Amino acid sequence: MPRPIPLSERFANWLPRLVLTPSLLIVLVAVYLFIAWTGWISLSSSKIVPKYDFVGLEQYFRLWSTPRWHTAVANLFIFSTLFLGVTTGLGLLMAILLDQKIRAEGALRTIFLYPMALSFIVTGTAWKWILNPALGVQKMVNDMGWTSFVFDWIAQPTFAIYCVVIAAVWQSTGFAMAIFLAGLRGIDNSVIKAAQIEGAGLPRIYRSIIVPMLRPAFLSVIVLLSYVAIKSFDLILALTGTGPGSATEMPSTFMYSATFRRDQMGVGAASAMMMLMTVAAIIVPYLYSELKENRDGH
Amino acid sequence: MTTLNKLLLATALMLPLASQATAQIKIEGLHVWTSEGEVKALKVITDKLATMGFEWQDSAVGGANGANAQQALRTRVAAGNPPAIMQFLGYEGLGWAGEGALRSLNDLYAKNGWEAALPPVMLQFVKHDDEFFATPINMHRQNWVWANKAVFDKAGITPPTSWEELIASGEKLKAIGVVPIAMSDEAWQIEEIFEAMVADVNGPDFYKKAIIDLDETALASPEMVKVFDLLGQVRGLHDAGFTGRDWAAATNMVANGQAGMQIMGDWAKGEFLAKGMKPGVDFLCFPTPTATPNYKFLMDAFGGFKIEDADVNKGQDAVAEAIMDPEVQIAFNMIKGSIPARIDVSMDGFDDCAKRSFADRAEAIANNAMWGSVTDGFAVEPRFSGVFGDVVGKFFVTDMSSADAVQALVDGINNAR
Repeated sequence: MPRPIPLSERFANWLPRLVLTPSLLIVLVAVYLFIAWTGWISLSSSKIVPKYDFVGLEQYFRLWSTPRWHTAVANLFIFSTLFLGVTTGLGLLMAILLDQKIRAEGALRTIFLYPMALSFIVTGTAWKWILNPALGVQKMVNDMGWTSFVFDWIAQPTFAIYCVVIAAVWQSTGFAMAIFLAGLRGIDNSVIKAAQIEGAGLPRIYRSIIVPMLRPAFLSVIVLLSYVAIKSFDLILALTGTGPGSATEMPSTFMYSATFRRDQMGVGAASAMMMLMTVAAIIVPYLYSELKENRDGH
Repeated sequence: MTTLNKLLLATALMLPLASQATAQIKIEGLHVWTSEGEVKALKVITDKLATMGFEWQDSAVGGANGANAQQALRTRVAAGNPPAIMQFLGYEGLGWAGEGALRSLNDLYAKNGWEAALPPVMLQFVKHDDEFFATPINMHRQNWVWANKAVFDKAGITPPTSWEELIASGEKLKAIGVVPIAMSDEAWQIEEIFEAMVADVNGPDFYKKAIIDLDETALASPEMVKVFDLLGQVRGLHDAGFTGRDWAAATNMVANGQAGMQIMGDWAKGEFLAKGMKPGVDFLCFPTPTATPNYKFLMDAFGGFKIEDADVNKGQDAVAEAIMDPEVQIAFNMIKGSIPARIDVSMDGFDDCAKRSFADRAEAIANNAMWGSVTDGFAVEPRFSGVFGDVVGKFFVTDMSSADAVQALVDGINNAR
């Protein structure tokens, strides 16, 4: 006769499930239910309030016939690519340099990490002034005597998006650096020593051993920064207000203005679905490949 | 017994007395007024309500040109908890009335004869089908030019009589080292200039046809190309630092003499008055130059949501009555800088700009030359007015041709239909 399982043990078995259930329910409702709801709205004729009829893909056609949406999609790719590339590269470089057992490392690390403590609204407003040709960098250089110096990217529709990249990189590089630095500190010194005994130079050690070993750090940095890139809403509003001439429109700002300012809830929902699909198309395969290899024992 | 306890007891004993003295019905209002002048002006209405036995519960949601308040309202209606009173800007009220969410004020309008006291064009923003759903407190005029008198005198120019003259006077202002037009690259500030030009150059009838009726032939007409040509000439009249400038900062450039003029609605007046400047003496206000005088308006109105509660309904009626009270309208608008929505009140005691606005409005009503401002959301529904901002904003900061801009306008409007 099997021994009856004591109540306490049964409870202990159920505890993890019990604890996880509320958060699982919240995620189900607050994330997946609303994704489904947004999908439904995007197929309806909703304007000022949600309407539960069915108009097929009309809102998607309308969305893709809006020039501002094309600008927004192009900007998302320009911004994300440059932002991720520059932030990761610069962050890694700074982490490697800081890792050379230099003096005042603590102070420098704090200084580099500090912009992260600011909200994007503050960053955006500060850079709006720094980049303004009549107030910031251009005026400073002009006043120093170089009167023909021009730096008015923020007023140029074709260059304004790079101003957003500059501000976002400034804000997030310290964060990438901190994660890489933690990764570097976690690498066993004996591996490096072994490589040195084998006669590998420092650049070779970094290129072939250390950077590949930082792979988990890369995963964290890329996933976290992609999410910063997609939600860069507040930075855009503070820095350029989607201007000049909608040149710095992003899918997130487009979605907000369609839904809440222009009473085009259907178009807003369609743009939100497009954003979701874009993000999923990029992030899901990346996560899959990274996590799959981990499971295989790498 | 400690002093604190004594105090608490005393307060507790006082409470029934206090609540008896202010046994007032509470009425909640959601609005966007958060600046000092706006709050002071609103107090005129709420003080009046207090004398009528109602206590105003203030829910102010500022920011983002009213978008934050719209978002708050949508959330609250979706949750089944609409505010008793809501401030409506532009088509917002009509949208809710169309959803059948607003309480009819027909009885009050009929009893008090309010319909005759309001400009006819204004009625379309407080009435849906045959139901009045809101009462307007004020009216702002959009097509104003604000100028620094000393700067104009120094440059030897007087208020221009045509847009060509206004643009030409820019060169004279540049010659004395002044920025001709204080503005920003924000789409709506450019659109303020654009929409004034549409009515000034082609007449108010064209404005009605192209922008209010969204007639495709008028939108695509050579007249529209002409407006963009004219707007293109303004490109050289601003300074390099105009990116992302706040409208009030631009007004201050005029007030300080750094810039000659600004094309902006009459909310700009407050910035001059706050500096102690006097209209006609220190600064000039004149309508945007035209051979066909016209009046572009925007207004603030308040309406109530359908709520099953007799007390709340009484309060909603009281708010409507307070807003339409002539004395309240006068006192409110002296603080706010606009003019009364009612056309049958005395303008004694207002400043010269407000008097001019009031007189011009009467003339425009008689000549059928008064229309809602598209920039500020009183010409077409937001999904259309947004298109004007997109195209005009892009046109101004790029080398887009006038013909391309007109085509983009037609395509954009058709896409939003």
